[in-house]
Amino acid sequence: MGWELHDIGIVGAGMMGRSLAIKVAQEGLNVCLKEVSLERVEAARREMETALDNAIARFSITEAEKKAILSRIRWVTEFECTAGCDLAIDAVQEDFEQKKEIVLELDSRMRPDHPIVINTSTLSITELAAKCRNPERVVGMHFLYPVTRTRVVEVVRGQLTSDLVYERALEFARILDKVPIKVFEMPGFVTTRVVLPLINEAIHVVMEGVASAAEVDLALKLGYDFRTGPLEWADRTGLDRVLNWMQHMFQETGEPRFRPCPLLKRLVRGGLLGTKTGRGFFRYDEKGRRTDRLPDDRPGMI
Amino acid sequence: MKILVLNSGSSSVKFQVIETDLERMKEHRDEMLAKGLVEKIGLSTSRLVLEVPGRERYQDYREILEHRAAIEWALRLLADPDHGVLERIDEIEAVGHRVVHGGEEFASSVLITPEVVQKIEATSVLAPLHNPPNLRGYQAARSILPDVPHVAVFDTAFHQTMPAHAFLYGIPFQFYTKYHLRRYGFHGTSHRYVAFRLCQVMGWKKEERRIITCHLGNGCSLAAIDQGRSIDTSMGFTPLEGLLMGTRSGDMDPAIVPWLMAMEELTLHQINTMLNKHSGLYGVSGISSDMRELMKARAEGNRRADAAFRMFCYRLKKYIGAYAAAMGGADAVVFTGGIGENAPEVREWALDHMEYMGVRLDKERNRQVVGAEGEITADGSPVRVMVIPTNEERVIARDVVRVLNGIMPTFEPPETVA
Repeated sequence: MGWELHDIGIVGAGMMGRSLAIKVAQEGLNVCLKEVSLERVEAARREMETALDNAIARFSITEAEKKAILSRIRWVTEFECTAGCDLAIDAVQEDFEQKKEIVLELDSRMRPDHPIVINTSTLSITELAAKCRNPERVVGMHFLYPVTRTRVVEVVRGQLTSDLVYERALEFARILDKVPIKVFEMPGFVTTRVVLPLINEAIHVVMEGVASAAEVDLALKLGYDFRTGPLEWADRTGLDRVLNWMQHMFQETGEPRFRPCPLLKRLVRGGLLGTKTGRGFFRYDEKGRRTDRLPDDRPGMI
Repeated sequence: MKILVLNSGSSSVKFQVIETDLERMKEHRDEMLAKGLVEKIGLSTSRLVLEVPGRERYQDYREILEHRAAIEWALRLLADPDHGVLERIDEIEAVGHRVVHGGEEFASSVLITPEVVQKIEATSVLAPLHNPPNLRGYQAARSILPDVPHVAVFDTAFHQTMPAHAFLYGIPFQFYTKYHLRRYGFHGTSHRYVAFRLCQVMGWKKEERRIITCHLGNGCSLAAIDQGRSIDTSMGFTPLEGLLMGTRSGDMDPAIVPWLMAMEELTLHQINTMLNKHSGLYGVSGISSDMRELMKARAEGNRRADAAFRMFCYRLKKYIGAYAAAMGGADAVVFTGGIGENAPEVREWALDHMEYMGVRLDKERNRQVVGAEGEITADGSPVRVMVIPTNEERVIARDVVRVLNGIMPTFEPPETVA
């Protein structure tokens, strides 16, 4: 034993990596956040500043908390600092080869019983762990974006994951004040597997001209108490990411229900990727606010 | 006897060593031997500060990961031949713990037993941010000092004498029976201290007096103390109710909450943080939660700072009037806390035009009493107004002595409604 959680390594300071780093630092743990180059570090640091300022403007945190969060995050470009980490998370995008490389780097440096966490929604933990010296310390955690707000995390047990490491991953989830959903490795786990066909079906409805995108979302919001409609949710997640997941799920399972709707492909090919490009199924301003809501879709009306 | 007083927060521990006993209490001769704090617990840069009267301040940094290590560090230093005030740690004969929420279980301070710990744990649902770290501090101190008595002193206990018509909310009664959802009030230790100190200074019997105490610090609250008992206080179920505060809204129309949540699509966490950390003097002025900075900006002509200042004083005035009404008049008003002790302007604004109820402020005296004990009303004023610096640690130490001597004030239990 003698394992305590104080220092967390996070590899990748993209949208997910930054959000994770903020959440981890917010809970009082130290973060060592790795990007590939100084330029990427600088860019990510600016993005994080903006995200924290927006959080202040939305009353999620205070100025003092922002300072405390930033003071707990150390930015690096090398893997070295992960050697002293009690737990490390790979938070780069959903790319098998890239993740495999990272897992091996972490495995060669960290103490053998310190967990390596892979943040993924569709990739195989078992396959990523297979080549490690200590494959039993590799475990999956599917965090949902934004990590600062979503209360749930799927904790994924691979074929080789040990009970001890799985327990440690659950402990980490609890420290982050998240509700862990225990799942066995299977493409999509629970959340991604269930939400993708829903989004896909919503896109089909739009493509077939049954109803407009705005009306599809509004129907589900008002009818089933969704906070965000599935199409806006896809826009906010990034349509390229949604497409990527769906293609992967389709490949892995061969199930036609995961076959991406042609309209989704068309939008991605046209560079209409959702909130981040200002246009997807809906239009957004530079702060990410919807500019084309229906009159009945206004805040306060729902 | 030497008593260790502990105030354990989530990432800090404040401590004092106080020498007191029944004899000293009677003569107001309690002596603070040392005070200090360990902050940033859980980080590698934890800091310990120790202040001993007549000596230079001592500071040290090291990695402190939990409360036990923090309290051990503090005790080791207290017994250090160069910096400490004790020859041996076992000179400490008892420990007093500040516990924020005592719920309806505790109407006075109490010797901590396993049953008491259980009850405090059960109350944590009412104060999820405060009671758990208070308890962690207790567990740590108990493991280091297992053979001395430990006493819990609650922020809420003093207000347990409030009658039902003051502590109930006008919402369906089932929530009171189901969750103990009611007004509790806070700062009880401070209100109790300044009210009783006032009586001591004036030579009054507390059983014959009606006193309004104003604790104005980071958090602000008033208490109406009739015959030595708190009959009403301005904070409620949480410390958010009542006066305008540094970053807290105080009283407002509760309908604002759902309305704003819908309009701005705010989450529960966001609206909660908005009301507790982005509101009050800071939220209104947009400048600062600190009254000193606010008054500087106001003097420079900043209109929002001025509005925030006026709101603060106006609400204070309204509560003073309300509590005078509740008690059929008042014999005295006491100001304490950082703002109450150090901001004569606030006192002047709040007490302006109160001759109708017998307050005759002496503006010159008021200006001169800053950070010290002193009266600020004119000679012959029917209602006396005093500034009394608060000292919660002293009350905690004294309560330890009282509990150990079996002389806690016993009030009638509050009337039951359910």
